[in-house]
Amino acid sequence: MKTKKRKIMGWTFVIPASIMIVIFNFVPMIQSFILSLKRGSGTNMIFTGFSNYKRMFQDKIFKMTLSNTFIYLILEVAIMLVMAMFLASLLNDKRLKGKWFFRLAIFLPCTTSLVSYSIIFRSLFSVDGFINTILTNLHLIASPINWLGNTWTARIVIVLALLWRWTGYNMIFFLAALQNIDSSIYEAAVVDGANAFQKFTKITIPMLRPTILLTAIMSTNGTLQLFDESMNITNGGPANTSMTISHYIYNLSFAGNPNFGYASAISYVVFILVAILAFIQMKVGDEK
Amino acid sequence: MKKKILAAILTAAMTIGMVGCGSTSSSDNGNNSASNTEASSNELTVWCWDATFNIPAMEEAEKIYQKDHPDVNVNVVETSWEDIQTKLTTAATSGQTDTLPDIILMNDTALLNNVKNYPDLFADLSDSGIDFSKFASYKTAIGTVDGKNYNVPFDSGVTALYIRTDVIGEAGYSIDDFTDITWSKFIELGEDVLAKTGKPLLSAQAGGPDLLIAMLRSAGDSMFDEDGNPNFAGNDVVAEAVEDYETMVDKGILVEVNDWDQYIGTINNGTVASVINGCWITSTIQAQEDQSGDWGVTTMPRLDNAPNATNYSNNGGAGWMVMNDSPNKDLAIDFLKNTFASSTELYDTILPTTGAVATYLPAAESDAYSQENEFFGGDKIYEKFANYGAEVPAITLGQYWEEAKSALGTALTQIQQGQDIQEALKEADDTVSFAMSE
Repeated sequence: MKTKKRKIMGWTFVIPASIMIVIFNFVPMIQSFILSLKRGSGTNMIFTGFSNYKRMFQDKIFKMTLSNTFIYLILEVAIMLVMAMFLASLLNDKRLKGKWFFRLAIFLPCTTSLVSYSIIFRSLFSVDGFINTILTNLHLIASPINWLGNTWTARIVIVLALLWRWTGYNMIFFLAALQNIDSSIYEAAVVDGANAFQKFTKITIPMLRPTILLTAIMSTNGTLQLFDESMNITNGGPANTSMTISHYIYNLSFAGNPNFGYASAISYVVFILVAILAFIQMKVGDEK
Repeated sequence: MKKKILAAILTAAMTIGMVGCGSTSSSDNGNNSASNTEASSNELTVWCWDATFNIPAMEEAEKIYQKDHPDVNVNVVETSWEDIQTKLTTAATSGQTDTLPDIILMNDTALLNNVKNYPDLFADLSDSGIDFSKFASYKTAIGTVDGKNYNVPFDSGVTALYIRTDVIGEAGYSIDDFTDITWSKFIELGEDVLAKTGKPLLSAQAGGPDLLIAMLRSAGDSMFDEDGNPNFAGNDVVAEAVEDYETMVDKGILVEVNDWDQYIGTINNGTVASVINGCWITSTIQAQEDQSGDWGVTTMPRLDNAPNATNYSNNGGAGWMVMNDSPNKDLAIDFLKNTFASSTELYDTILPTTGAVATYLPAAESDAYSQENEFFGGDKIYEKFANYGAEVPAITLGQYWEEAKSALGTALTQIQQGQDIQEALKEADDTVSFAMSE
């Protein structure tokens, strides 16, 4: 009797949230899948099956944005996670003074708005911007570099912006995980004659594995859906070489003639990519 | 006890905060929903975007309409063009047309695509009693889709060469040397001005082909041919315009910047000695008051080899549209009819302050157009714009204008990075055809 009552209690707590998730998450997901099978622009849509999915294979801009997004993914996630882990273990040092200040300073960027920090990065790296002024005054470069006007420098600026924005966020996860590692393990290692590097590779990294997995999946997911930076720092340029998939989806929907069917089909591809990558990461990360 | 007091204070603070949010958002967005309620049926909500230009024009129109209709208010909401387009798309596809205002300002180049995609969204003004023959014919042509008139034409985007007379004077030239010239002459003069004063003549947004499209139009050419197909590859006019553009970039006569704010900066900070753009840029140039008297206006250069080359073109321009589902539709139409579509008084008032060159023909006959402008050295610039406007070649605008523009911008960047011109233009053709094949 008591268990039944408890069960009902439990369900009443869960149901409101579940209904909301279904209405606001799953229903739109299904609707957008149906939309991805339709063709036409604006309000004149007809059902055409998988033609939108076939269309992607001929779309040069889609292929370009796909490869751009993977370039960001590979560069950014790898560098960021290594940096976050490194910073976390530095800041976890018990002898360090002013720890709170450094933690705060590194975490603070991720409280800023995506759009405003993007605009600041754009002005920092403009031709007559701060970075060029500093570099020319230090005589490191002879004439200003057009950072946002060249393919690779534009991509690098976006990766730098992402690193600045997200490293602190991931560091907090690593810090939390590091504090759960029993210090006696390290003491035992010291007794056994391990040096700092060995302690890091043989103890810290294996103990952090679940956190590495978590942050890797989160960052992969975030990078595949990258939008604000592409839109606001480079506006996709030069010649679409820094545009992300999400930015392209936006352009298909809102710049020029709206093609929502095709845009939904591409967003389903992103969805599938996230799922595949997360699955691979879980297989690799979960050796047990 | 202490905790309870603290909690009470926090709750109070949050409530006040929320009330604060509520009131601000209702002044920003509330007017959208307000258009549905009985009380506000005398309020028209308008979306337009330029605080030095079309917003003051609309506010003047309100004053003029209020003389006969004192109970009608116009609520102008500053909304950037990109935002208007996004909001239109969202509202039209979701069927939530009550989120839209009563009147919007529509960019000429986007009108066709919006009317074609959302045929029922905009009010058909054909039988409204507005006399469309009183507007410049190329403007009414833009607003006419399948024989129906959809907009009340507003400003002209006729292009001009705005030039710093003090800078070219330093190099030994006068504005006459820049009048009615070809691009090759312009480049030659530009090199000399650059060598003598260190100032490039022009600036442009990298990857933004506005100048290039204006060059095409000056020769009666468009991004689309008469059948509506993309018109880049194998088109000698496009190739010539691109070559001229690239020559100017290579020689440092044209500096490229990355966004619109930097572009405005190059004009107002005196980085460049001239501007080629639609005449709506006047109010931006005039905003830099310490340069008063240093600017002159003349015709833009023409292409050397193109068969129909002229010194006149058009870039931009917009018109007012009424939303079909607006509960105040009739009032909105009546408002436009009695202001922008018939009041020369309105155009006389807004011309000196905003520089909005009207496409309402009777307005051009008024004295306001022959007034001298101190900022431009006492020149009668509005008369010039009106005269240039009569010479602009009519061209085909396409439903896929935005897509073509972005493809041309991409091609331009690729050519700068060393790609063969025809190859890049072919690719642009393919991109546009691909977008059109949806």
